[in-house]
Amino acid sequence: MSDTTLMALFEDIDPASEAIDKLHEMGVTDDRLNVISGVPFTHKMLGRPHPWTNVARIALGGAAAGFLVGIFLNFGTPHLYDVRVGGQVLTPIPPGLIIIFEMTFLFALLSTFLGVFLDSFFPNYRPMEYVPEISDGKIGIFFKVPQDEQQKFTEIMNQMGAESVQPNEARQL
Amino acid sequence: MAVTSGYLGSEKANAEHHEEEHDPRESLMYDPRPRGEMNAMVMESMHTTSWKFWVVLGVLAFLVATCFFYAWGYMIAEGLGVAGVNRPAYWGVFLVNTVFWIGISHAGTFISAILRVMKAEFRRPFTRAAELMTTFGLIQAGASIFMHLGRVWLAYWMFPIPNERQLWPNFHSPLMWDLLAITTYVLGSTMYLFLPLIPDLAMARDRSTGWRKTFYRILALGFRGTEGEWRHLTTAMNIFAFAIIPVMFSVHTIVSWDFAMASRPGWSSTVFGPYFVLGALHSGMGAVAIVLVIMRATMKHMDYFIRKEHFDALGKLMMIVSFTYAYFFFNDYIVQWYGGDKWTDTLLHWLEEGPMAWMFYQMIAFNIVIPFLTLWNKRVRTTPWLLALIGGLINVGMYWERYIIVPVMLSINRMPFTWRLYEPGIEIYLTIGTFAMFLLFYMIASRLIPLIPVWEVQEGQMVHSLRKVGKAHVPTVSEFE
Amino acid sequence: MSNLNIDLNRVGAKGALAEEADGKWGMVIDQDVCTGCQACVAACAMENNIPFVMEEDAAYGRTLHWIRIERFWEGEYPEVRTTPYQPMLCQQCGSAPCEPVCPVFASVHSQAQELNLQVYNRCIGTRYCANNCPYQVRTFNWRDYAIEPFHANDFDGQLVFPLHNQFNPDVTVRRRGIMEKCTFCIQRIHKAEDKAKSEGRAVEDGEFTTACAQACPTNAITFGLLDDSESLVSQLANHKHGYRHLEEMNTLPRITYLQEG
Repeated sequence: MSDTTLMALFEDIDPASEAIDKLHEMGVTDDRLNVISGVPFTHKMLGRPHPWTNVARIALGGAAAGFLVGIFLNFGTPHLYDVRVGGQVLTPIPPGLIIIFEMTFLFALLSTFLGVFLDSFFPNYRPMEYVPEISDGKIGIFFKVPQDEQQKFTEIMNQMGAESVQPNEARQL
Repeated sequence: MAVTSGYLGSEKANAEHHEEEHDPRESLMYDPRPRGEMNAMVMESMHTTSWKFWVVLGVLAFLVATCFFYAWGYMIAEGLGVAGVNRPAYWGVFLVNTVFWIGISHAGTFISAILRVMKAEFRRPFTRAAELMTTFGLIQAGASIFMHLGRVWLAYWMFPIPNERQLWPNFHSPLMWDLLAITTYVLGSTMYLFLPLIPDLAMARDRSTGWRKTFYRILALGFRGTEGEWRHLTTAMNIFAFAIIPVMFSVHTIVSWDFAMASRPGWSSTVFGPYFVLGALHSGMGAVAIVLVIMRATMKHMDYFIRKEHFDALGKLMMIVSFTYAYFFFNDYIVQWYGGDKWTDTLLHWLEEGPMAWMFYQMIAFNIVIPFLTLWNKRVRTTPWLLALIGGLINVGMYWERYIIVPVMLSINRMPFTWRLYEPGIEIYLTIGTFAMFLLFYMIASRLIPLIPVWEVQEGQMVHSLRKVGKAHVPTVSEFE
Repeated sequence: MSNLNIDLNRVGAKGALAEEADGKWGMVIDQDVCTGCQACVAACAMENNIPFVMEEDAAYGRTLHWIRIERFWEGEYPEVRTTPYQPMLCQQCGSAPCEPVCPVFASVHSQAQELNLQVYNRCIGTRYCANNCPYQVRTFNWRDYAIEPFHANDFDGQLVFPLHNQFNPDVTVRRRGIMEKCTFCIQRIHKAEDKAKSEGRAVEDGEFTTACAQACPTNAITFGLLDDSESLVSQLANHKHGYRHLEEMNTLPRITYLQEG
């Protein structure tokens, strides 16, 4: 028995979160359910599990890498070609702190940005399940149900206040 | 006794007073409109251009072609002799422009990062307009640094990359710190501009056709607004908001160190770091005010998003920054004056009595006196053209401040035999060129990317509510997070 | 009382190593005998391929002289008194402020000669070194002066530069956009060192001298090794009339000026 993806479109957050509860009751587990919205609703508002993100970890990794790059630039590269300037020592610490600071932040910011791309699978130009109304502030709930229960779920979602419930197919964004 | 007006609580006094008072229902956050309508407004503002827009665009493009590219090319071919730099003013208007544009860029980060971290709600509609100034201002700052180089075609020798000369750059040099800091800031602020833009690009993608559709589809990266995407995006924006603040401070501090590290009278000052950062915010806030006023006057529907409350808030910020600027200014000068060093004394006397004294006094008038005298008044703050005028004066004053610090202070040094005044040459055209390029980029961007972060405005409107306390409506803000 | 004799080298004090170093070349300039004739300026220009910058740029403060004669007036007219002429050139600081600020190591300290070097082909023209030089002795090539058509003769459409015939082959001709300054005639130092080495001896005092010292008609300029206690320059450098410019800045200049009174 194959599954269909239904999309219920809601105008407001309250009926949408009720509908998610209802779907949970009816046995649709969280991994068969997806919410898209035009505003960042938190998982608590939607009654959904906490979504995992690696962005902070990747940022921290980048910061550590940047720290090492800073150390290499200030305390490593001068030894490759010994040039003395201004009566200063070869690898003075105070300028080193500046270099390390800048490199740490540069790499942390770059990897944060990269983290968003990695975690969200950007850029992604394949056809996706989507409706343009989402960016008008509507909330779309996608859920997978067995094909023969499609009718039942459509009715229930309509009762919960959905504007429309349709089987959704992937489309070019 | 006949009823006279004016006693406390009289009808007339109440009415007069009422006009002054700000009704919370008038602010953007308590005047919500459906998201679809706001989207349509922002889309229309991007699509609407009048013939005036194209005329201005054409003039700016011409100025960029002649005053920026042609003039720079000519200077590269001829050498820096066509500029006004000489001995002892080895640095001139190019470095003034660099400091000025980096200063402009600081406003964007201040508004979009510090105000975001502090959850100052008035920021919401104009974070992007300010952040765009950061990116475009930094482009001009970078260009100005390269203009200033004697052999710009070898500028890549400063990059810390392995090279055939087997020579790494000198990390003792404040210019190296500068290069790294500005690189970090350009990349960081551009990414920080782009991240909150993704949902708005997706919005624009959903409502455009033709080449715009392709443009937005590519830039929106396939954003749909799933929970995961929002979570990654908001986490990243949070990290950026915190991390870019120290970067912002470091950039202008290091720019100030380019001067303060040199043991010259007038330059060798330990307060230069914070003084420059505050000076940057001072000119940046003024520039934001100008940009917002122009935006509101020339772009469709912007009077809904940008209101008196925003000018009011900006005016207050400008006033506070002006106070702080005055504090650092005084601190810098009194310490130098009191120290009584021979050369510093000479320099200070020269500033107050020399041929550039008019600039010195204008700087004080525009940066400190005029903001002090005007911005305490709410009517001034909420009158857009007045606020833009004050912002413009502050920018002139801040430009003079940098001009005094770079070529004017360079004229006086420890070798009186070399004292000589600086007169800008081709720098004037190149300055016009950078200004034209900044405005050109901004005008093009205003019709290409949604200048109002619609999703952030909607988010804000959703968490704001008015509570009735007695007979008054009191604003209440909850948090989304 | 505690003993506060601190070994500056051990605490890494700025410039302490440079002060201790061997083989320092130095100069003494006797202002009392300087007549301000500018022969040193001309000789320096000939020796070091310094181009003419022409009237307009010269008047605007863009002269390329590595050495200049400073002259000042004291008092108000009519009671004006001139001060002694003051030849000013790169002081070859032991702890030079121009060096650390260069992002591309174009201004570096030579450990072999204890000189302050300017590496022309590394320079990208930030001009930071010149701003940070308290003596204001660095000069910048604002244009391509060496191939300025004004100096050329036109032979059938081809520019011929007669002045190029007198270029010193031991010294680079600098192009536009780079910084230059006095080198203590390092080409002469090298030549003398090479010669002495081939003959298996040390460089003798007075064996050679810089172009400015050679040209000086009153012998106001003396050049030599500072740490050779027998050399004339080291004896003059310790003369009671000696002083150094801006000594308070801890730049450790290698040039001593003599002036009575």
